[in-house]
Amino acid sequence: MNALPALLLLAVFLPLLAAPLMALAGRRLGPSTGWLALGVPAACGLALLAVAIQVGPQPNLVVRWPWAPSLGLELAFLVDGLSLFFGLIVTGMGFLIVFYARAYLDDHYRHHGRFYAYLLLFMTAMLGTVFADNLLLLFVFWELTGLASFLLIGFSHATESSRRGARMALLVTGGTGLCLLAGVILVRQLTGTFDLQTLLRAPLVGTDRSLTTAAMVLMLVGALGKSAQFPFHFWLPNAMAAPTPVSAYLHSATMVKLGVFLCARLFPLFSNNEWWAPMLSGIAFFTMTFAAILALLSTDLKALLAYSTISQLGFLIGYYGLATRGEIEYDYLHILNHVFYKGGLFMVVGIIDHATGTRDIRLLGGLARRDPGLAVLTAVLCATMAGLPLTTGFISKEVMLKEIFHAPAAFGGLGMFALVCVLITSVAKVMFSAHLFVQVFLGRESAAVIDHFHRPSRMLLLPPALLAVAALVLGVMPGLAVSPIRYLDVAGLHLPAAVPLALWHGLNRELLVSTGIVALGAAVYFAVNRVGWNWVRLPRWSRFDLAFDVLVDGISSAAKVITRAVGSDSPLHYLKIVLTFTVVLVGGSLLWNFNSSVGKLIEEFPVRVSEHAFEPLRALSALLIALTTLGAVFLRRWTTRLISLSLAGFLTTFFYVLYRAPDLALTQVLVETISLVLVLLLLGRFPRTAEECEEEDRGFSPRKIYAAVLAVLTGTLMTTLMLLVTAWPSSKPMGPDFLQMTRPLAKGDNAVNTILIDFRGFDTLGEITVLLVATLGCLGLFLRYRRTATEWKQAEKGPPGFGVHHGEEKS
Amino acid sequence: MTSGRDPILRTVAVGAFFLVNVFAVYLLLRGHNAPGGGFIGGLATAISLVLLMLAFGPERAGRFLPIEPIRLAAGGLLLAALSGWAPALFGRPFLEQFTEYVTLPILGKTALGTPLLFDTGVYLLVVGIGSKLGFTLANSTLLGRALSPEDQARFASAVETPIEDTAPVGLDTRDQEPRN
Repeated sequence: MNALPALLLLAVFLPLLAAPLMALAGRRLGPSTGWLALGVPAACGLALLAVAIQVGPQPNLVVRWPWAPSLGLELAFLVDGLSLFFGLIVTGMGFLIVFYARAYLDDHYRHHGRFYAYLLLFMTAMLGTVFADNLLLLFVFWELTGLASFLLIGFSHATESSRRGARMALLVTGGTGLCLLAGVILVRQLTGTFDLQTLLRAPLVGTDRSLTTAAMVLMLVGALGKSAQFPFHFWLPNAMAAPTPVSAYLHSATMVKLGVFLCARLFPLFSNNEWWAPMLSGIAFFTMTFAAILALLSTDLKALLAYSTISQLGFLIGYYGLATRGEIEYDYLHILNHVFYKGGLFMVVGIIDHATGTRDIRLLGGLARRDPGLAVLTAVLCATMAGLPLTTGFISKEVMLKEIFHAPAAFGGLGMFALVCVLITSVAKVMFSAHLFVQVFLGRESAAVIDHFHRPSRMLLLPPALLAVAALVLGVMPGLAVSPIRYLDVAGLHLPAAVPLALWHGLNRELLVSTGIVALGAAVYFAVNRVGWNWVRLPRWSRFDLAFDVLVDGISSAAKVITRAVGSDSPLHYLKIVLTFTVVLVGGSLLWNFNSSVGKLIEEFPVRVSEHAFEPLRALSALLIALTTLGAVFLRRWTTRLISLSLAGFLTTFFYVLYRAPDLALTQVLVETISLVLVLLLLGRFPRTAEECEEEDRGFSPRKIYAAVLAVLTGTLMTTLMLLVTAWPSSKPMGPDFLQMTRPLAKGDNAVNTILIDFRGFDTLGEITVLLVATLGCLGLFLRYRRTATEWKQAEKGPPGFGVHHGEEKS
Repeated sequence: MTSGRDPILRTVAVGAFFLVNVFAVYLLLRGHNAPGGGFIGGLATAISLVLLMLAFGPERAGRFLPIEPIRLAAGGLLLAALSGWAPALFGRPFLEQFTEYVTLPILGKTALGTPLLFDTGVYLLVVGIGSKLGFTLANSTLLGRALSPEDQARFASAVETPIEDTAPVGLDTRDQEPRN
């Protein structure tokens, strides 16, 4: 029992530790990094198997380490049937995918090390998500899977479609992921815990009904986004820009199933809610039918598979919507069945793409003669997808039909809707399975096949072949699956009593309907085939991704329009805008509350003045500051004006000294000095003529009058604010607390410094980081400011530049 | 602006340089208990460096600050961050500070510990940033070229276009010949 936490930790974090190793090894090893990477999912899978054996049947165990206790975040892992089931799929499928990728990513690809590093990062994220016991931890890993998916979709980042697909996937899954976070926080507000096990043990009883519904809806939006359900379905077909191993792994077998996983996880928690069934099954069954029809209309093989994945995910999610608490029987079977055929088919499509150089179903044909082995393999997988007998697809469909026939009785109209959707989708599935196989493998050999075909490596065939064999073995002897499924039962989710699975249930309603579906699908398919498939394309209104692009591009072009409208090269221009808004908004709000603010101030002013004795020293320095400020405005030469302004700054120091703030005084002197030096240096850049030009420009213009009025108003506003703040100081100043605590807590006498370094140390760290980043930005701007040859000729009147290329362009 | 040939300015600058820096280090060390600290210490040192550079000319800036100022600044940031992470090695929260007092010859009772490390990081960062900006501005004024080619390779991306080419708003272009 003691080895268990260590084994679990190894399984979850070994891929993360191995990822940088892969990135380093990739430089030396190139394509053969895959052999090295293969060990990781193998080790994780074995570790998880050991965990599964150790915990015994129907496990329910939490392993925890504290992480950030102040945030309620801990590294808590829940080992139960659901997490073990998904964990084993992730590692098992991961093993096959790494094996496949090693052969697939040959010399056409670069950066093999990086690829495996991303893949392993994804594996950790996946395992973390399914095992997380803390909802916040689950969210962290959940978003990490989205990040890994972004990196993998954008792996060939030189192509536009990869970047577009990666951006779309990140924005959609990341955005809906934030809904999940909001839901998690709401649950915490309602129950006071992030702990899944605690929540599952005592489902939300006695909490506010509408808030519980809000939390549920938010979390389900996260699930629907991740599983590409309507209206978020558009990201998945675009994610197909990823290398095929990634599509097979992330975008069919594992990551997109996280939505399904979350529904299963939350099922005991929310299934009593009256919105659970309508929301989930309504959206999901609609998506299922919609996507199945789009799959039929797709011409790209990967898009076809992507839409069929969305369709199947719709079924799996809707399945949880229509289930009754504690009576789910074969959800694992449906998920496993989908992993078998969809993972396998993606790998097959990758092989076809490799061998012929195209994935367009219209350009393919007659591959069976060239590669009979591949044809047999695809036939088995397509049969599984269509649900033909002797495959797991058949068993899955029998069980599905049996369950869905009960739905109208239990759920009324919603159940009827689900039943109709399932029947339509099943027919469509038979059609596009047949379409895929017939169009690619039978018929005449197409030009693409004749020109490009080269036999794929046998290594590539091994992983899909294994999946096909598994689908066949479990399809012929479904009884084998029963005891492992029972072993991983989850209380509150599954039906404890086993209903045996068998190939032959007798001549019953399900078998008849199943036969009818296959017959109808085949008949319609061949009827359509006679007409030809040339007219087939995705209807434009279904292309949500185009609308999404318009939206995303719209944000940046709107920003561009605004920037163009108010933008200028002159800082003075911005200063005017900012100050105008400040005066109008702040001054306006002061006038709005005139009686309680300014009016009161004016009323009490004589009293306040009489409270203070006249101090000649302060009056003198105030007078000097005022004089130097006037000098900054009215003196002629730039340098003298600057020095005059600087003097005002130095004189302010005097007040800091009077109020006994030596730190501020020192800082003020030094900041004043360095800014004076820097601006003086900058002024040296201007030719004398520029200054003289300004001399000629003396006199009044509307622009100048506006600037003067604005300056006076701003000054008045700031003075009023200052008086207001000092007249009614905030009820509880923070200063005395810090002064009291600086000795006992920070062991220092200088409270200014202990605040900066100790109490507010994190702020300071952030500030100095910003300082460095801003300086780097400054240096970049110095370089980007370059004059063209014409402007250089007029340099005397032009703005100051930090010309780098002057020498070359002058001639 | 002087071009760095004035012997009186040179002598004064060298004297001031040592004086200011002794003061700057003093400010840094006593900052925990008396007015001072890394930020103003760093400012003082940066000003003294700019002064020295003005007296001797920007060509020789590399001689009295032999390390690239941005590296100095980055090193300072790293030091501050590491001093924050160090307590985490012993299971304490990030940025928890530990102070011990020792008596040193001239300074008297001095606080040593993580606050001093953190403050030294701030000091180095401010020195680096202040002197880099000062040097760059002085270069652009006195030498006509803000950044050396090495700097250019370091701080600018090769694919960027100059600002003036993309956004000519605000430039007085009325009496320019048309570009071709």
